[in-house]
Amino acid sequence: MKRIYLHPIPVRVWHWINAACFILLIITGIQMRYVDYIRLFSFETAVDIHSWTGFILIANYLIWLSFYVFTLKIKIYIPTLNPIKFAKESITQALFYGYGIFVGNPNPHHPTPDNKFNPMQKVAYLMIMALLIPVQIITGLLLWDPKFFSKFVNLLGGIRIVDTIHVVLFIFFTAFIFVHLYLATLGHTTFAHIKAMFTGYEEEEEEHAH
Amino acid sequence: MDNRRIALIFLVIVFMIIPVHANATKGTLSDEAKMCLGCHSTKEMTRALESKEILSLYIDGKEFSDSIHNMFSCSGCHPDISMEKHPLVKKISSKKEYSKNASKVCKNCHPDQVLKKKPMHGSVVAQPKAPACAECHGSHDIKRIAELKAPLTESQYCLICHKYDFSIPLKSGEFLSLYADESVIRRSIHTKLQCGACHAGFSKVEHPIRVFKSKRDHSITATEGCGKCHPDAQEQYKGSIHHIVLRENNLKASVCIDCHGSHSAVKVDRNLGLISCDKCHGDVNAAYKLSVHNTARIKGKEDAPICSTCHKSHDIEVTAMTMKMKDKCLECHKDAEKAHKKWLSNPPFKLSSFAEHHLNKVACALCHSPGASGGVYLCLYDQKTKKPFSKEDVLKLLETDSAGLIGKLDTNRDGSIDAPELWSMVKQLNEKGADVTLTGRMDVRKGTEAHQIAVKKEAVRECERCHRTDSDFFKEVSVVLLKSDGRPRFLSAKQGVLTSVLSILPVSEFYALGGTRLGLLDIVGTIAVLGGIAFALGHITIRIITSPIRSLRKMGKGGKE
Repeated sequence: MKRIYLHPIPVRVWHWINAACFILLIITGIQMRYVDYIRLFSFETAVDIHSWTGFILIANYLIWLSFYVFTLKIKIYIPTLNPIKFAKESITQALFYGYGIFVGNPNPHHPTPDNKFNPMQKVAYLMIMALLIPVQIITGLLLWDPKFFSKFVNLLGGIRIVDTIHVVLFIFFTAFIFVHLYLATLGHTTFAHIKAMFTGYEEEEEEHAH
Repeated sequence: MDNRRIALIFLVIVFMIIPVHANATKGTLSDEAKMCLGCHSTKEMTRALESKEILSLYIDGKEFSDSIHNMFSCSGCHPDISMEKHPLVKKISSKKEYSKNASKVCKNCHPDQVLKKKPMHGSVVAQPKAPACAECHGSHDIKRIAELKAPLTESQYCLICHKYDFSIPLKSGEFLSLYADESVIRRSIHTKLQCGACHAGFSKVEHPIRVFKSKRDHSITATEGCGKCHPDAQEQYKGSIHHIVLRENNLKASVCIDCHGSHSAVKVDRNLGLISCDKCHGDVNAAYKLSVHNTARIKGKEDAPICSTCHKSHDIEVTAMTMKMKDKCLECHKDAEKAHKKWLSNPPFKLSSFAEHHLNKVACALCHSPGASGGVYLCLYDQKTKKPFSKEDVLKLLETDSAGLIGKLDTNRDGSIDAPELWSMVKQLNEKGADVTLTGRMDVRKGTEAHQIAVKKEAVRECERCHRTDSDFFKEVSVVLLKSDGRPRFLSAKQGVLTSVLSILPVSEFYALGGTRLGLLDIVGTIAVLGGIAFALGHITIRIITSPIRSLRKMGKGGKE
């Protein structure tokens, strides 16, 4: 079993703050949106928590961005620009999740600090980190004070459009959380990936030479 | 007139003049008159009438000798009394009755043809309730009209007749009282004005005949003269909703005298509206009387708002579906935005804009009038001019009239506008060159509710009152088309216009978290979350099912045999 230092401490701190924020934002978001069905806490409290958490998430996102940009580690999110290679690697990875994993094939991707994500993860996380979270942050900010940001709200076509984008992404992130949690259990043991996100070290079974 | 009647009149005149002798001159009374005055010059001589009135039997000899009738003997006008006989006087019911009966004899010399020669005089004397001759012209002090007029002011002259309660019939079948109460006029702010100042065209020498359809028509016409002295007020009034409605031939619309009175107009005090507005807006006034504003007024707070504080006085505007009332509230409640900011703000930064946004979208009265029923009102807004898109423009673009409008919009004829119809309306207008959207605002449903403002502690503070789809405030949705003069036309809409995906673009300006939740996104959200869970559960199930395969392979690679 070899141990790879995959998650530096800033990444781990960011990840768990981000996770806590996501869960709080989803719960309070559901409470605010469905106050006529759910009563975990008052609407006012839900709004307060949602707003505070939103700003913490923004700060946390900026920390993440700064860390990855200034250390140039951002490149781990960038998929290969060779489309054929990308397609081949993606198909291989998809086949692993869709078939290989069931029959005991080894994971075709072996993470290293410089190549942490498999091609499918790269595309997914790049989309999330570079597009979806910023869009969610911006739309959230506009909804946080539509009057203060009225020019931007109008630029996007009105508050209902902003709200619709925010809610569509909320749905995506909520659904994603379940998939993400499940995928986190697909390490060599159920808690291997989760443990790695605490310790920083990812354990990988060493392949036996035949 | 037949010859017999002419002869009779002639004889009466002769009979009256002969006793006075041919040398009768002004100031010379007949013997008969002198004899009568022997008793009737006593000031204390009176008679109690059945009406309990006291009829003075005193005759001022000087007045009589100065009158135009001084050459007549008393029996000329009192034919049942002469030097030879003074019968017991019959019962007299009232002064009015006495005057009426005594005046009958006037027609002996002044026949109807003469009396009706002047049309106005003719029309008045023809009325059943016309004053008796003596009531206007006097009895023993009768003078020539010119003499009568000379010492009198215009008003005094007019009041000779108009102090009596008589009326004229109108086309409507109503009777218009021509009575002017002198005591009321004396108390009015216009007491120094002569009648002609307001009653244009009328003077001591002119009395045109005017024809009115109804009493209301007369009242409206009567106010036309007010602008001569009050041009600013009249100009302001011409821009008011009252005048707009009046122009549309709604005679119920208020005119000057409805609020200020006519002969009773007094100096305006700030409580005038509570009386005058109450005449038409009694329900609103009743609501106001229950308000914190009225309580403050009663306690003597000088700046407590009354009707005109918010609605102005002469230039009363339509306030429904506008921000005018919010601005009015803030004129007095200058710290309202700051006060709302204390609790209506989004952490971590307390920006006033968040409270301001709520104040712009929710009418003050909706939260501050306890128990008020609310609704969402969607107004067409012109994005080019940044002003409401008028109903007239809608009618023009949709090529219909006011009556046909609902038919054009409510295409499924179910009595209210649903989301596809709303979408279609905005689409049609924009296809025809407009650039409209719908702005939304929450407001009270009834005008009375807007006036029943309560103390601060009773105001709605619970966010959940609005931020939920089942909020009472969201059950009533209306599409509002504003006429260019500001008057709204409310078209009933379904609640679904706020929660349909089709409303995202047409109603892009109105959103209430939780309240305008899109139903489609609820479905999409449920499917997506269930899909995510299903993926995880499905994948793990296959992993469990296929675990023997992996175990076998592992054993083949050196695992336990």
